Amino acid sequence: MAQQPLSSAVPPTDIYGGDEVSALVLDPGYCSTRAGWAGEDVPKSILPSFYGHIGSTNTNLFGDEYLIPREGLEVRNYMNRDSVVEDWDVAPKFWENMLVKRLQPERPTAPSKNGLNDDPKKDGEGDVSMDGAAEEAAAEAQEEQEKALQENPLLVTEAPWNTSKAREKTTEVIMETWGCPAFWLSRTPTLSAFAAGKATALVIDVGGSNTNVTAVHDGMVLKRSIQRSPVGGLWLSSQIRSMFEHAEPKVALTPTYLIENKTPVDALAPAQARLRKFPFSIADSFRRYEEERVLTEFKESVVEVWRGNPGPYRAQGTEDFIKTQPGRVFEMPDGYNQMWREQRYRASEGMFDESVGYPLPEAERITKEQTIPSLIRTALEAVDVDLRPNLLGNVVVTGATSLINGFNDRLNNELIGMYPGVKIKIHAAGLTSERRFGAWVGGSILSSLGTFHQMWISRKEYEENGPGIVEKRCK
Amino acid sequence: MSQSGATVSQDCITAFNELKLNKKYKYIIYKLSDDFKEIVVEEASDDKEWDSFREKLINATTKNKNGAMGKGPRYAIYDFEYSLASGDGIRNKITFLAWSPDDAGIQPKMIYASSKEALKRSLTGIAVELQANDSDDIEYDSILKTVSKGLAA
Repeated sequence: MAQQPLSSAVPPTDIYGGDEVSALVLDPGYCSTRAGWAGEDVPKSILPSFYGHIGSTNTNLFGDEYLIPREGLEVRNYMNRDSVVEDWDVAPKFWENMLVKRLQPERPTAPSKNGLNDDPKKDGEGDVSMDGAAEEAAAEAQEEQEKALQENPLLVTEAPWNTSKAREKTTEVIMETWGCPAFWLSRTPTLSAFAAGKATALVIDVGGSNTNVTAVHDGMVLKRSIQRSPVGGLWLSSQIRSMFEHAEPKVALTPTYLIENKTPVDALAPAQARLRKFPFSIADSFRRYEEERVLTEFKESVVEVWRGNPGPYRAQGTEDFIKTQPGRVFEMPDGYNQMWREQRYRASEGMFDESVGYPLPEAERITKEQTIPSLIRTALEAVDVDLRPNLLGNVVVTGATSLINGFNDRLNNELIGMYPGVKIKIHAAGLTSERRFGAWVGGSILSSLGTFHQMWISRKEYEENGPGIVEKRCK
Repeated sequence: MSQSGATVSQDCITAFNELKLNKKYKYIIYKLSDDFKEIVVEEASDDKEWDSFREKLINATTKNKNGAMGKGPRYAIYDFEYSLASGDGIRNKITFLAWSPDDAGIQPKMIYASSKEALKRSLTGIAVELQANDSDDIEYDSILKTVSKGLAA
């Protein structure tokens, strides 16, 4: 096992004994960041990983309530598309906003600073700074004491390819900036596998900005097996954008904030809506963020994955067959509405078959190697032959994009076709929240266990070893 | 050390050695203690009837975090004995089974999965390791096929 037991010279402290540990769990991703208390079923605070930035005053606004039309407001993300933190100036503040402001009760201002105890004499002349030095020292001690998360051990999840530099940086933020008493970093596939009751599993995580396939054996991520591609929620959004573009008539993607009022119209009739005018220009990044929200709704209510019956989507006649099937109506924010039939399958088909789908700009096009079946094949080829049947019998599907209707049926069909004669079993949590927050929920349970107190990397260990400790302990 | 920090009681190892060396038992079922801190022996038996062993796993229960009883995961050691189809005699395989029914609560599943390593590491001489998640996974014939790699008679 990778985790070394604490050396006998450092007996595990009893501070976290019992199941009440007031630990926090943070699960950052490109599309959203999840934070909450250990032991709870769902994260209390879920925010988009996007934040507002106002260039003129150089201020950052955290929280989706600030993402409104506003002069000079740009929407930024603190992560890169690989789900690795990019902006280390912003990330700690973003997280702190969630872990402290959103989750903890407001703390009273220290008596020395709340203005009630100010000594009026100080402002006058005379006996002022006799004890100035002492006061300063006290203030410093106070500050030391007021580090944000002094009483909360913190478990942070990370992508399995997170760089060691990013891990050390995370560690520093946790220990130095927040003053946590203990922490732990966990890789998302391990947590998802454990939450499905499996120590060995092939984890397929279909997320927002990417999809990854990772083999986990006895709770350890098999590094060679990690495969990832951009086929995820955002990629699907680009497909839908292209689908709107190629529809007849073209569908305009007008985000909700632009609509002042609208009149209902018949299907396929041009929208009748009055647009709002703003006395300032709206940043493209804001518009894109808002468009993405409309697309999310579209994905949730219209898009479906072709299950493969009666034939593969690309086969001749399949589209004609779907046209005879009931479709789904979607009303755009501006009131335009239409029935979507074969298109709603075609948009998602590229996840499995790169030859089908809507044309994309070159940067977003995917190759055959990036489709989900190829990712699985490559991941399995990278692990020991004897292990493969065991992994195929324990496939864990997680991630919000896997919730698209038909996804699991299709995946099952693909796997049966790829590995005839092998027993294939897909495990996907039935509860939407467990699928959307699989890794968070896993982290929540793990860190709430009374026994987990021996696992946390304590402040003492950190102080003795420095941030490098994380590479040694959290493997 | 497991990833959850749960430990293994000495009884687990003693019972395993009785099974391995003295053939005293046919199977051992392990569970986590009620406070989820330690892996303990739930039952060690010399009953050779697979179905009664299977029933015990299927009916295993555990407390969830609200204190209600529900289906529970288990670990088990089963001493498989089979004769080779080629007629080359009898083989024994000590098999480790991680039983985690899909319909058990997420918390017990998580705890058992993250503690498994601790038990597995303490027991030396396990020939085969299996994960099973529903009653179909623990049919005698299919398990025997896996354990014997298809060589059983």
